[in-house]
Amino acid sequence: MNTTTDYLETWFKTQETITKSWLDSSKKMQEAFTGSGKVGADTDIFNLYSSWTKPIFDSLGKGKGISEDTVKETMSKVFGSTNAYARLYEIWLPLFKAIQDKSFNPDTWKDTLDPAKYQEVMNKVWGFNPEALEEFNKQASRLAEMFGKNAEQFANPWSEAITKNIAAAPQFFEGHPESIMNSFHNLFRAFDSTVGTAFHVPQMGKDREKVELVLRWLDDLAVYTAKNTEYQHVMYATGQAAMEKVIEAVAQKIKEGTEVKDFSEFFNLWIDLNEKTFYALFQTDEFSKLQGQVLDASLNVRQHFFKLMELYLYDFPVALRSEMDDLYKTVYELKKKVKSLEKQLKNKVGQEVGA
Amino acid sequence: MTPPFTTFEARNLVKDLGELGMKVMRGAENVTSVDDIDVGTAPRDLIYQEDKLSLYHYKAQGKTTSKVPVLIVYALVNRPYMLDLQPDRSIIRNLLGHGVDVYLVDWGYPTKEDMYITLDDYISGYLNNCVDVIRERANVDKINIMGICQGGTFSTIYSALYPQKINNLVTLVTPIDFSTKDGLLFSWAKNLNVDNLAKTYRVIPGDFLNSGFLMLMPFTLNIRKYVDIIDTLEDKDKLLNFLRMEKWIFDSPGQVGECLRQFIKDCYQENKLVKGKLQLGDKTVNLKNITMPLLNIYANADHLVPPASTKPLNDYVGTKDKTLYEFKGGHIGVFVGSKSQKELAPAIATWLQERDTPTPRVKAKPAAAPKATATVVEKKPAAAPKAKAAVAEKKPAAATAAKAKPKAAAKKK
Repeated sequence: MNTTTDYLETWFKTQETITKSWLDSSKKMQEAFTGSGKVGADTDIFNLYSSWTKPIFDSLGKGKGISEDTVKETMSKVFGSTNAYARLYEIWLPLFKAIQDKSFNPDTWKDTLDPAKYQEVMNKVWGFNPEALEEFNKQASRLAEMFGKNAEQFANPWSEAITKNIAAAPQFFEGHPESIMNSFHNLFRAFDSTVGTAFHVPQMGKDREKVELVLRWLDDLAVYTAKNTEYQHVMYATGQAAMEKVIEAVAQKIKEGTEVKDFSEFFNLWIDLNEKTFYALFQTDEFSKLQGQVLDASLNVRQHFFKLMELYLYDFPVALRSEMDDLYKTVYELKKKVKSLEKQLKNKVGQEVGA
Repeated sequence: MTPPFTTFEARNLVKDLGELGMKVMRGAENVTSVDDIDVGTAPRDLIYQEDKLSLYHYKAQGKTTSKVPVLIVYALVNRPYMLDLQPDRSIIRNLLGHGVDVYLVDWGYPTKEDMYITLDDYISGYLNNCVDVIRERANVDKINIMGICQGGTFSTIYSALYPQKINNLVTLVTPIDFSTKDGLLFSWAKNLNVDNLAKTYRVIPGDFLNSGFLMLMPFTLNIRKYVDIIDTLEDKDKLLNFLRMEKWIFDSPGQVGECLRQFIKDCYQENKLVKGKLQLGDKTVNLKNITMPLLNIYANADHLVPPASTKPLNDYVGTKDKTLYEFKGGHIGVFVGSKSQKELAPAIATWLQERDTPTPRVKAKPAAAPKATATVVEKKPAAAPKAKAAVAEKKPAAATAAKAKPKAAAKKK
């Protein structure tokens, strides 16, 4: 922040925006609740809190408000976390009402829990970003198309097929992550062993190399998508199981006459039971292996992508990654040699002085 | 069955979330007035630099009573200013206040240029050079070394390879036995394809490791912590304390791929250190060579480096003067907790002072045509060039050099 005037100006605009958002949200909220009144009936109400926090953060984060990077990042996390907190609050509130009404039934409550809403809370905790994955897939499709065209059409049919597969990937996700991976593998193997070697593929040179790398990269991408889906599925399922434990704990408290009295208590219970449930998952060898596989798959995608970029940049007057690696190696070895020689020299001088 | 709820009080939602938002707004002035987050403020001099590494010597606070200086070796992961986070949460200031002469290695932020640096380069290269610089400056043959976390593992390895240069070894929350399944990082590292990781990134981004650390307590570290801070936004001192810690947590240098590759494979995956099979260059690390006094500090609630990994060091070393110190708290509490300041730092200072026996520098017998690849040479102190001759030491592997050393040592001042 530069001056007090800047601060006040920012403050004023923030207040103005908040007031407007508040009025809009209140209106939408009323509309939502005059409907069925049931949670999940209207999504507008669930954006209430983020509509509050977004303008605050936008105004604070636009340079005038916060000048220190750590503060910016921290406040971003504060708002992100409080949005997740608010989501959880939305889940909690009807539960609290049911407890008050003495109508709480854990089994029914589990049935009415909106998985989509809870998934948002989980996404916040784990940093999953469905939109980013979607965009990633779109970019992969575009890249595949571009490579297909550049390779003189020979790979277009295959490229189109793989693009469609990527676009359709989310439909495979539900419980069958391996199936999509296998579909890509099979496609790749079929192409590689038949059409790829027999017909249109350039016989040698960089074009051939590019095509093979594109195929390999897309294959890696498919493996990554499948493994990542499996990983996310495990996380969501564990999150859901943890939430059920929370509800059971709430029911137990009611039974014991020590019911949860406010959201803060519910929030702490939710955090603690989630930590315990996920810790149990994380301790398993299966999870450790799966996590290792997801990472490995993502690294393969990255590596082949870098190689592809190198092939395409090869003819341009730029230093390539592998060339820089060689240079770094030379610098590293030279430095070691110089240091060793310097020590020898000092040793020799020291011996002469000491003699 | 009738649904348990059909309506609820929207007013509650508005009221509670509104209060949350208002707390943020009330704290806005504090938040926007933070221009700088000051950390690592204890006065110090930069005395040596090599590539990205810096070696600092802290200015005395009052009288320095210890005769043997201590070199603090922090982990490659995260930044060493955690040891001097703020004036009232500073192990370094605390040690200085107890008369300890303190030096600190800052490994810096590696870039891709550093991608080939090995574990051997870090320990027998950089760390060994720092030790030699301090020995010269302090005019002692041996110094104290105090390693933190991974820096403790480095210090332990160093002490086993160069016992003739170390007076006392202090380790804090240091992983030694990697066979434990108590810590999640230990379990996860077993299935990490670190070859692929190093090959892909060259220098692994700090954020990558951070995401692993956050996964250890995800709900507390990703949600609860930030919700809780809202209550203290209006208190500027508390806010700054929080921000200093945030700055440290996310100020993570990248990890040199080659070094991390060897560390993960040899230690986490194959547990070579305690098996006596860890190889650095042409040297094998034998923990029995640690014959100097050892103070091994572990935290009983450490979720990053569990006690099962730290405590066994005392079973593998060759020294009889070994102390196991239990700190009641977690990994981070060791550095910044109130017990750390009130109990731990004074205990370290006392333990060191009880073993504060300086070994003066000795004249070396001039070596005949030393081999370039097998000789570690110390430079002469600039201040007193004629008083002392440089010492030439052969690597421990060279049997003849090991035998020659006592002759040189006989010429103690």
